[in-house]
Amino acid sequence: MNRQRLALLFTFFIGVLLLFFFWNQEDEVDFSSQVKPILNTHCISCHGGVKKNGDFSLLFEEEAFAPTKSGHPAIIPGDPNGSELIRRLTESDPELRMPYQGEPLSEDEIDILKKWIKQGAKWGKHWAYEPVKEPEISRKPKTAGLNSGEENYSSSIDFFIQEKLKSVGLTPSPEENSSRLIRRLAMDLTGLPPSDSLVRDFSSGKISYEQAVDQLLSADAYGEKWATWWLDLARYADTKGYERDVSRTFWPYRDYVIRSFNADKPFDQFTIEQLAGDLLPNPTQEQLTATAFHRNTMNNDEGGTEDEEFRVAAVLDRINTTYEVWQSTTMACVQCHSHPYDPIRHEEYYQSMAFFNNTRDEDTHDEEPKLRFYEEEDEKKISSIVYWVEKHEGKQAAQHRADFLKFLEPKYAAHLATNFQKAELIDTKWLGLQSGGSATYLKINTLGSDQLLLNYRSGLDGTQMKIRKDGPDGEIMAQFVLGKTQGDFVLSIPFKPIQESVDLYFEAKNPKASPQQNTSAIVWFAFVPTLKGQEYLGFATIKKNWEELLQWKGTKLPILIENPSYMRRTSYVFERGNWMIHGEEAPPQTPKELGNWQESWPKNRLGFAYWLTSPENPLTARTLVNRIWDQLFGRGLVSSLENMGTQADPPSHPELLDYLAWKTMNDYGWSMKSLIREIVNSSTYRQSSEISPEAYKLDPSNQWYSRGPRFRLSAEQVRDQALAVSGLLSSKMYGKPVMPPQPEGIWQTVYNGEFWVESEGEDRYRRGIYTFLKRTSPYPSFVSFDAGSREVCLGKRLVTNTPLQALVTLNDPVFLEAAKKLAEKEMKKSGNNPEKTIEGIYHSLLFQAISNSKKQAMLDLFNSAKSEFEANPEQREDFFPDASSDLAAMAVVANAMMNLDEFLTKP
Amino acid sequence: MKNLDKLLGELASQKLQAQTRRHFLVDCVSKLGGLAMAPLLFGCDLGKNGQVKSGLNLSERDLNPLASIPPPFLAKAKSIIYLHMAGAPSQLELFDYKPELAKLNDQDCPESLLEGRKFAFIRGVPKMLGPQANFKQHGESGAWVSDYLPHFSQMVDEVAFLKAMHTDQFNHGPAQLFMQTGSPRLGRPSLGSWVTYGLGTENQNLPGFVVLTSGGKTPDAGKSVWGSGFLPSVYQGVQCRSKGDPVLYLEDPKGMTRDLKKNVISAINQANQEDFENFGDPEILARINQFEMAYRMQIEVPEVMNINDEPAYIHELYGTKPGEESFANNCLLARKLVEKGVRVVQLYDWGWDTHGTDRDGSIDLGLRNKCREIDRPITALLMDLKQRGLLEETLVVWGGEFGRTPMQENREGKVQGFKGRDHHVDAFTMWVAGGGVKKGASYGITDDFGFSGIDERTSVHDLHATILHLMGFDHEKFTYEFQGRPFRLTDVEGELIRKILA
Repeated sequence: MNRQRLALLFTFFIGVLLLFFFWNQEDEVDFSSQVKPILNTHCISCHGGVKKNGDFSLLFEEEAFAPTKSGHPAIIPGDPNGSELIRRLTESDPELRMPYQGEPLSEDEIDILKKWIKQGAKWGKHWAYEPVKEPEISRKPKTAGLNSGEENYSSSIDFFIQEKLKSVGLTPSPEENSSRLIRRLAMDLTGLPPSDSLVRDFSSGKISYEQAVDQLLSADAYGEKWATWWLDLARYADTKGYERDVSRTFWPYRDYVIRSFNADKPFDQFTIEQLAGDLLPNPTQEQLTATAFHRNTMNNDEGGTEDEEFRVAAVLDRINTTYEVWQSTTMACVQCHSHPYDPIRHEEYYQSMAFFNNTRDEDTHDEEPKLRFYEEEDEKKISSIVYWVEKHEGKQAAQHRADFLKFLEPKYAAHLATNFQKAELIDTKWLGLQSGGSATYLKINTLGSDQLLLNYRSGLDGTQMKIRKDGPDGEIMAQFVLGKTQGDFVLSIPFKPIQESVDLYFEAKNPKASPQQNTSAIVWFAFVPTLKGQEYLGFATIKKNWEELLQWKGTKLPILIENPSYMRRTSYVFERGNWMIHGEEAPPQTPKELGNWQESWPKNRLGFAYWLTSPENPLTARTLVNRIWDQLFGRGLVSSLENMGTQADPPSHPELLDYLAWKTMNDYGWSMKSLIREIVNSSTYRQSSEISPEAYKLDPSNQWYSRGPRFRLSAEQVRDQALAVSGLLSSKMYGKPVMPPQPEGIWQTVYNGEFWVESEGEDRYRRGIYTFLKRTSPYPSFVSFDAGSREVCLGKRLVTNTPLQALVTLNDPVFLEAAKKLAEKEMKKSGNNPEKTIEGIYHSLLFQAISNSKKQAMLDLFNSAKSEFEANPEQREDFFPDASSDLAAMAVVANAMMNLDEFLTKP
Repeated sequence: MKNLDKLLGELASQKLQAQTRRHFLVDCVSKLGGLAMAPLLFGCDLGKNGQVKSGLNLSERDLNPLASIPPPFLAKAKSIIYLHMAGAPSQLELFDYKPELAKLNDQDCPESLLEGRKFAFIRGVPKMLGPQANFKQHGESGAWVSDYLPHFSQMVDEVAFLKAMHTDQFNHGPAQLFMQTGSPRLGRPSLGSWVTYGLGTENQNLPGFVVLTSGGKTPDAGKSVWGSGFLPSVYQGVQCRSKGDPVLYLEDPKGMTRDLKKNVISAINQANQEDFENFGDPEILARINQFEMAYRMQIEVPEVMNINDEPAYIHELYGTKPGEESFANNCLLARKLVEKGVRVVQLYDWGWDTHGTDRDGSIDLGLRNKCREIDRPITALLMDLKQRGLLEETLVVWGGEFGRTPMQENREGKVQGFKGRDHHVDAFTMWVAGGGVKKGASYGITDDFGFSGIDERTSVHDLHATILHLMGFDHEKFTYEFQGRPFRLTDVEGELIRKILA
């Protein structure tokens, strides 16, 4: 062997060595982004979650490395060739080769897995389960330019977006023209078109873009717009849902949401109030109102339904909704089995349930507990009663009395009765005792009270009632007569004080009752002691006020109230999700994978809310940012809004998502207005939405944001905008929902008997957020434009484009009325000049000058309509009573222009 | 059915015409109705036009989410007519003949039937209730049908009975949801939405999924039973009404003539066309298409919903009276709609909840009346479809959301004024007919009381799997990605019922 050949060989060896070195050095396989997607796509449907074929699962780390059915682990870190996993992927026998009966993995995929095992098979966390870290960029001064001084990005958002654009070969679009930009901004921030003055000030340069943003963010309409988004998540509606779907009073919650947005309530506080406002120290009326969030669950009045089943259904919905809204996590799967893809265990679902399973509501017909909204006069009376009780019985008794007046708890619902003898639960709701009938309530805590409050109604006088301890021969605890009532009545009854909890046996006698007739319908009972201090002056007034307030019937809102200790429910795992089959006990605990629990937090809903809003929770801030980004851009940075788990679409701009999440929590103190302001101030948001064929080819769905967002307005916006531009829109805020005209015969719910009663005056023209929402039959034009029915949490409205929508905007009387108003207004302004009127209408709609060709098209329409109306005056009268042919024809034109794509679309 | 011969003669001559029309519709929907607007219309060339104009590569579905697409597998059935008797009819008075139950009439229900079970209203120990109808075997298949359905009994050789259906929901709302969406909870797409999503529809001038209700009420579970759940809302059922506008806002405002409306839409689309050229957003093209469809729908929907012009013998056959909201009218409309290429027609007839709490809700009187309302119409529907050659390509499904107990209802332990039966989940009868279904078949056997299925039981998921199969889908592969996982109508269950396939 000569030296030359030796040298060559040596060089070759060095080369191989170097290659080997770099191979190992540069190719550190990343579990989350490289390995997990392969496992999820090909393996996990048979090896994880529901199925664990061959006792092998790839869902949790400890499962993946545990011995399988064969007795050996399938993955041996460091030894790909000795790992059964690799062997089975490369097996030639089709009976043994994995995926079983499926397409084999590609060589690349197998290589990644081999390398990963060789490198030690390091398990990793899914990106979204890592806490949000402070991003590099936020430390850099903005003014200096963010990228080594070479380029100047106007904001950090633009830096992330444009870096990505470069890498995919796209360039950003120029800024949108001012009239379209201001309309986009106003629609996004307030849901309404900009006012004339704002357009004027902005286009004349009197105010800057940033000033326009601030003006719009501080408008009342801002809260109405963004509340609509939140109410979809909160499943807010004005009816109970299910079969009978009768009305419920819920609007105070809607108003709470609008007010919170307008006050820019920090999102962590907003969260805590809604999930656990009742558990805050001395909760205010506002904080209690907030808890109605989770009373938006449906309530089933159908006869023959078991209230406990639907109480459980409501609790499960609360868990699923909480995780979807704050954690972008689909918990519904985990109800029946461990999550098929995400590392959340079956039992963890029920551990979460344990937080939500201890509220007083029980799917009763009256939906108690309810917060009472007293008038000022009554509030004064309450204060005097509470003051009296404090003086005569002390602070604690006063607090109990105050709570009872606020939301009537604690009390026992009639449906808890058992042991019916000549008795029934009327329509499975209220206790009905026939003459000589009885029923028993088990383990009742009377709190040692000397008084029982009984809520009932009856059409009969003279029913003799006895309540005995234990049974028919037990000691008589109370004896009283029930009379005829007008509706529900709360009767105060002397009760023999007893300290321990007892079974209470209720019996009734009334000779006037016919066979099988119920003597009364009992709704609930409670134990509140008699007022003390009767020897003092003023007692009579206090007592009278108290008794009057017991019968109070005003605005009441269903809320969350925690069970007192003696009513606490224990939570269990439901085997395979069946609420009737209890498995192991489930203590309140949050899923391990989703952030740490601090010992200082109480183990109740309040602690749970602290956990959600802790900076260590990896998902809350990311979820909020993602949803708000979606509202503005029509898609999330993670496009599957409802899910950031391992099966989610990977984020288009992970650093941007984390940057905004960090900033929202730390710099903005959870201010949503600040977050929105930062986004809409970016150049990215302000881009023109024109699409070039080249850009469309590279990015049809605009996921890289090389152009501005352009999509159809939402259901409410479509209607509100039409009313606004024509001057019909009422600016009245808050209060009872309204019923603007809708076609007849829309409401046909069984066993309901309620009607759509058309609102009068300005209530016909309120913003869409105030329209009465009946779950089984929502306002028809909103349904056409993709608004949901609010039966369950809706994370994203899919935008569709259908002929039924065209029928709404062409023919719905609301839109026609708006067109007529607009035509009238603009004709007056232009002195009846058709061409000028058309220009005026277009400008009112879109804040810019109409193109000549469009103007010509509209003029042609005007002329043809006018000649038709002139030729047929009766037709004109039908279309627009008392209008000239010119005005009627112009109304036709306005109707057409209010159907233009650009008018129905956010520019 | 004395008019049958006349009907057959009439139909023979119309059949060719009908087929030609249907074929034409499939080929090019837009040339009908929109002829006068031709210069502005993209019509059939829309897809191509999109490409020519902008170089955008758009599929027909991008411009029209309801564009018809073929199923993954060859299937005979092209459309579905689903007749849902809301409230749940009694199988024991109609199809599931139980002479043994008659012998137990008025005796205490055996403990074995009550143990560990819950009923909606029955409490304590109820009495057994024998069949309140006379049964006979009919046709070559020898199917048992009671005298409640004298006309329908002539059609038994056309249908396949599923006699051991079972569900797990005993309240109306959840059970209807389960039957129509595969889940008792809200939020899932209905069967009709799945099929419309999967196949689109053949006539773009009509909604692809039409819902018709009768009995004065919508079903207990509300509009969610034809909702699109997590599918885009374009696939939800469109309720067509017998009074007022058949489709909401269909009618032009007073004084707006068709000609004028045509000009309105021309002007709108001309301006939109200009915007498309400037902005290049394909959504604008889709909008242009939708406005044209709306215009054509305004012509074709009233046409198809108008039964005035049907010949007298058709009215006699169905028992229809124009202008009424009735199940009979809806059956005739269902035939007209599938004839015109509508993919799914869903009928809900309310009023089948026979607890015996009043006369209308009694099993002997009320139920007999309800049966009278549907007997002729369903019979006529099957005959009419058959003679037009449409039954082969139309799947007809009939049933409620659950069955009724063999026990007499004793609501809250009380004796009822009338004979009634409570809700029952363990056994009930449904039937299917038409496209791809075995004729004269019967599947499923219940015990001597008709209380439980003992052989060939069919779950709701099984039924769905079979319906999807008949429409050309493998129910395990027909999925939609949502919340990070593929969802299907049959969840994780469902077995195809092969024995009722032709």
